[in-house]
Amino acid sequence: MSEMWINMGPQHPMTHGLWNLRVHVDGEMVLDVDPEMGYLHRGIEKISEDRHYNEVVTLMDRCCYVAGLAWEHLYILSAEQALGIRPPERAEWIRMMSEEFQRLGSHLMWYAAFVQDIGLMAPFLYGMRDRDLVLDLFQSYTGARMTYEYMRVGGVRNDLPNGFTDQARKVCDWLIDRFEEYDRLCLASAIFHKRCDGLGKMSRADCVAYGVTGPMLRSAGSKRDLRKDRPYSAYDRVEFDAATADGADVTARYLVRMEEMRQSVRIIRQALDWLDKNPGPVMAARVPRWLGAPYAPIGNEGYLLKRNYPKGLGLSAIEEPHGEAQAYIVNDGGEHPYRVKFRSPVFANISAAKKYLVGYRIADIPPIMGSVDVCVGECDR
Amino acid sequence: MSVTLLSVATAISQAILGAIGSVLPQPASGAVTNVNTVDGLAALIFAAILLLASMLNTIVLIWWERKLLGRFMDRRGAMHVGYAGLLQNFADGIKLFRKDTVKPREADTLGFWSGPTAYMVTSLIIFAILPVSTGWNSGSLPLSLLLALAVFSFAPLFIFVSAWSSNNKYSLIGGMRSAAQMIAYEVPILLAVVAVVLVSGSFDLQTIVLEQTNYWFWVPLFLALVVFVAGMLAEMERIPFDLPEAEAELVEGWNTEYGGMMFAFFMLTDYLRALLGSFLIVLLFLGGWTMPGWVPAAATSFPLAGIFWFMLKVYIVFTVFVWIRASLPRVRTDQLLRVGWNRMVPLALLSVVLAALLVTVKCLPVLGCIPTLGG
Repeated sequence: MSEMWINMGPQHPMTHGLWNLRVHVDGEMVLDVDPEMGYLHRGIEKISEDRHYNEVVTLMDRCCYVAGLAWEHLYILSAEQALGIRPPERAEWIRMMSEEFQRLGSHLMWYAAFVQDIGLMAPFLYGMRDRDLVLDLFQSYTGARMTYEYMRVGGVRNDLPNGFTDQARKVCDWLIDRFEEYDRLCLASAIFHKRCDGLGKMSRADCVAYGVTGPMLRSAGSKRDLRKDRPYSAYDRVEFDAATADGADVTARYLVRMEEMRQSVRIIRQALDWLDKNPGPVMAARVPRWLGAPYAPIGNEGYLLKRNYPKGLGLSAIEEPHGEAQAYIVNDGGEHPYRVKFRSPVFANISAAKKYLVGYRIADIPPIMGSVDVCVGECDR
Repeated sequence: MSVTLLSVATAISQAILGAIGSVLPQPASGAVTNVNTVDGLAALIFAAILLLASMLNTIVLIWWERKLLGRFMDRRGAMHVGYAGLLQNFADGIKLFRKDTVKPREADTLGFWSGPTAYMVTSLIIFAILPVSTGWNSGSLPLSLLLALAVFSFAPLFIFVSAWSSNNKYSLIGGMRSAAQMIAYEVPILLAVVAVVLVSGSFDLQTIVLEQTNYWFWVPLFLALVVFVAGMLAEMERIPFDLPEAEAELVEGWNTEYGGMMFAFFMLTDYLRALLGSFLIVLLFLGGWTMPGWVPAAATSFPLAGIFWFMLKVYIVFTVFVWIRASLPRVRTDQLLRVGWNRMVPLALLSVVLAALLVTVKCLPVLGCIPTLGG
């Protein structure tokens, strides 16, 4: 069989989204790869410029379909900075808890997809089943399972319902037990190690050079975790460890994500205790009234845009489930942001594909790309 | 136990032709009730019964796998059509049957259509060779085991033909993998069979089963059983050896381009081969339709008891395959081939040596004295 180019995508089981990985193969060996992104580009940054600040939250849910609340959080942190609004403390804790639950949801989705990529059938459904519990929790306090539209500039939309914390604790207990089961299904299997050890090597220096962040960077021995290094929300008030591993391969990324889920449960438990003890408002007392306004009446856009509100810049960075995400907002005093810019960790992680895919086999591509955890929604925006 | 499939077919044939002959005038009636006509129709009926039985079993097998996998995955599997989804596969089959089969424009017509057909036909032929109970096959062939394995090993050729003529890169890679894998695992399978032949002293499956009346062959030939089961897993292309159709990287492997009825052919044949693999394991190592002596006589003497016990064993073996499928990841091609050539072949050779030793020192009859195994 001579050398040839294969298009893995845009419709391919490996991609977990809509993108195309062009692979140059010689028999089973990968000689070169060329990731093509952009199939899911919806112009979210541009659309944001024509929306009220709170209306952009709707777009953030569509940004990453498995980590909507994390992206809402990212945007809201930046928007509040740009508008000079501070949320009440309770809202900060609820946001932190939401982000951690979202991390659990995202990592469980990753686990399901990853084990499916290496051919493990049963744990796929275990991961999906347990993710459903997290989605049920989201449904109980945001009303939605995927597109939450929960966070607002100056706080969150509504407080937690009665009995939420007890239910959430039950879910945490259940999940902690399941993580042991997941490890037994994967790490105890010799075939799993045969398929994953030493694959997709990405050293710490390479990660830094390519801007690769998140679990991939931490799997190479780095301790960089924005929740620790640049704490936002209430992360400086909870105890947890940044999950790291040394292998820099697929197995190491698996270990990092599993440990991160355990740490997330640890954070959530502390947050739930705090939330039980500290009732209070979840919305800032003084929020400009126009933040809640609907679209400007047709023909009157110019009038609304002419108003002069305080100007400002907002820059936020959070540790999203896939890596470090950043949002930059320019507020020039109008009702809509002047410019919104996001940095997606997945885009950087995929861009380095040549570094961690070349030299392995076709059969290694699914586990390696699975360990990268691709979410095309946020990558293409 | 005197009822055989051929006698049943002949009786049906005689009844049908007799009925037709009684209403026809003399010269035509004589031609219809002639022995040759009766035998010819009997052969057709024989084949039809086999086809129906094997297809029915295959469909039930798919249902069983779906239900079992569902339970392993903490869900229920098919539930809606028929009792506990028993008819779901018939519904799926009808749906696939009514679908249009699309041939890619650049695909090779002859190879594209003949590949799946030949794949299915060659797998079906084996059912006429394998006995399921005393007399329940096409007759006692002196080399039935050899014939069955020879027909069984046609598959990689047809898979490769259909993969290559699909004109799809994924199909091609899948076909290459499939051919490499099946050829690599053919060798240990045949060597494991040699061990069985050494101990039983026959290539006739009937004789091999009857030789196991005193003790089942898995006891002296455990190593050969392990090699044979692993090899069969690879031949059947099931997880952990399903990499020719590894859906994560190769979409659907060698049958990527096939849809509708052609896909159903592949799907059915995969399960036909799973059924055949289980048949062979039961025939060669688990005593076929014989049962150990401690089983009460009433349980082994009712009509068609042989078939009942045989199919029970087959389904138990298949259940183990499903269990493996639910709990193991898939290996990689190079790892699979390395295991095949570097581990399985030496192990199979070792099992042949062990079998030869057992036969030479004549210690086998001793096994028959152990009460749990003896007949």
